[in-house]
Amino acid sequence: MASVSEMYDVTWEEMRDKLRKWREDNHRNSEQIVDVGEELINEHASKLGDDIWIIYEQVMIAALDCSRDDLAWTCLQELKRQFPGSQRVKRLAGMRLEALEKYEDANKQYDSILQDDPTNTAARKRKISILKAQGKSAEAIRELNEYLEQFVGDQEAWHELSELYINEHDYGKAAFCLEELMMTNPHNHLYCEQYAEVKYTQGGLENLELSRKYFAQALKLNNRNMRALFGLYMSASHIAASPKVNATVKKANVKYATWATNQINRAYQLAGRGTKENKCSVKAVEEMLESITMS
Amino acid sequence: MAEPEFLLDSNIRLWVVLPIVFITFLVGVIRHYVSILLQSDKKLTLEQVSDSQVLIRSRILRENGKYIPKQSFLMRKFYFNNQEDGFFKNTKRKVVPPSPMTDPSMLTDMMKGNVTNVLPMILIGGWINWTFSGFVTTKVPFPLTLRFKPMLQQGIELLSLDASWVSSASWYFLNVFGLRSMYSLILGQDNGADQSRIMQEQMSGAAMAMPADTNKAFKAEWEALELTDHQWALENIEEELMSRELDLDGMFSKELPMGIF
Repeated sequence: MASVSEMYDVTWEEMRDKLRKWREDNHRNSEQIVDVGEELINEHASKLGDDIWIIYEQVMIAALDCSRDDLAWTCLQELKRQFPGSQRVKRLAGMRLEALEKYEDANKQYDSILQDDPTNTAARKRKISILKAQGKSAEAIRELNEYLEQFVGDQEAWHELSELYINEHDYGKAAFCLEELMMTNPHNHLYCEQYAEVKYTQGGLENLELSRKYFAQALKLNNRNMRALFGLYMSASHIAASPKVNATVKKANVKYATWATNQINRAYQLAGRGTKENKCSVKAVEEMLESITMS
Repeated sequence: MAEPEFLLDSNIRLWVVLPIVFITFLVGVIRHYVSILLQSDKKLTLEQVSDSQVLIRSRILRENGKYIPKQSFLMRKFYFNNQEDGFFKNTKRKVVPPSPMTDPSMLTDMMKGNVTNVLPMILIGGWINWTFSGFVTTKVPFPLTLRFKPMLQQGIELLSLDASWVSSASWYFLNVFGLRSMYSLILGQDNGADQSRIMQEQMSGAAMAMPADTNKAFKAEWEALELTDHQWALENIEEELMSRELDLDGMFSKELPMGIF
């Protein structure tokens, strides 16, 4: 099998920089990390210097994702040898036990970390993910709530909690979590869009109005968010079709829906610029929009 | 008042001015590494971490509350500020002012601070004063009054000498403060050789006492939150959005990224 450097004709420095970029952007492309990282570790370990330890950590987590237990074990051994008694390494050992489904051992590992340092957030979050992996979502939700009571600022945790609530169909509480995220990241269009979707799912006139507003906000933050555009169209049409609204509201919403339709058509025109397949899809979209429009 | 220009022996420059600069600099660097070795870990309690995050959340609520619906904002404001069981009203933290006597770790910290910073300064200042005494080292570029003479001209017993001519001890002290920017350049920010920063910290150290701060911080947040109103940013969002066409430029590019590199 050709090595990565041969296939793409890159030097080890470029590979190392690519790994660093993935680390900083928090990418989860585990297979690629394993390919690149394994070659770096095996061929160029001496040239990497002190960078190698963080690369070991990154590659180990990626290897656990890809079920490469051999590689994960090697990385863990190297890290244990260099940093004996480190809590960060203990957490990695716990993650490996989790990957092997030895949940009691993993739990013991995390408990020992927490005994030494009760403020260690990583260990607490791993324990919650063990519960999630075992399918005990009610307990996971409870533990996560307790965790968030102490560490109110952990955005990752808020997002995870909102996902858990959505799976349990508890949309009110999921909306609460997403509100926290929207407040801390007011310029992130994805949180606005997710919030709008949750509100749309909840249903009811008020929630539909809120969802329309937040779809519009997501579009304002990112003009190219197609999902928000479709969401805007759907929520506006739904409100317009509802029997409980008065005429002015209905008229306004029909206007919004029409505007959204125009934008959608424009987007589909741009995509593919008049090729034969594109003409068919444009027509399909137009028909779909007409069929959904409730007069 | 004619100012007679002295011509100092250039040996002074070679053997006094430059060595003092080197000595000050090297001592600073050594202080930095010693302070790293003697550093004690600051352990934060769970409560402190939690409280600081709560304060951040309340501040975010005040600043960005306008992005969430009015109902949600009021719900959170109520949670924090409610008369009977609001978080800020009810939570009183145990306040233990960390005086040096009761808190042993503070005592050792203070001692370490003194040993690494003040002691070397005094010792070396005194040694330089003793070694390089009896002659004028340099001239400060601005005129000084006579009151500065006994301070800056230690060891030079000339009544009629301008106060601008100073001895080596004052050159040493000038260096201690002047080399601060050099330390930031070479050792990076937050280095242990930064004398004046440490002195500033000691002066404001009383104000930084964490436990007492928490209660006051809560009270301040409570007041600030009471005053905050909800101005929903999404009031007219549809009109704003639909006033112009969507900017779909560059949405569909011909090239797709292939592979890793």
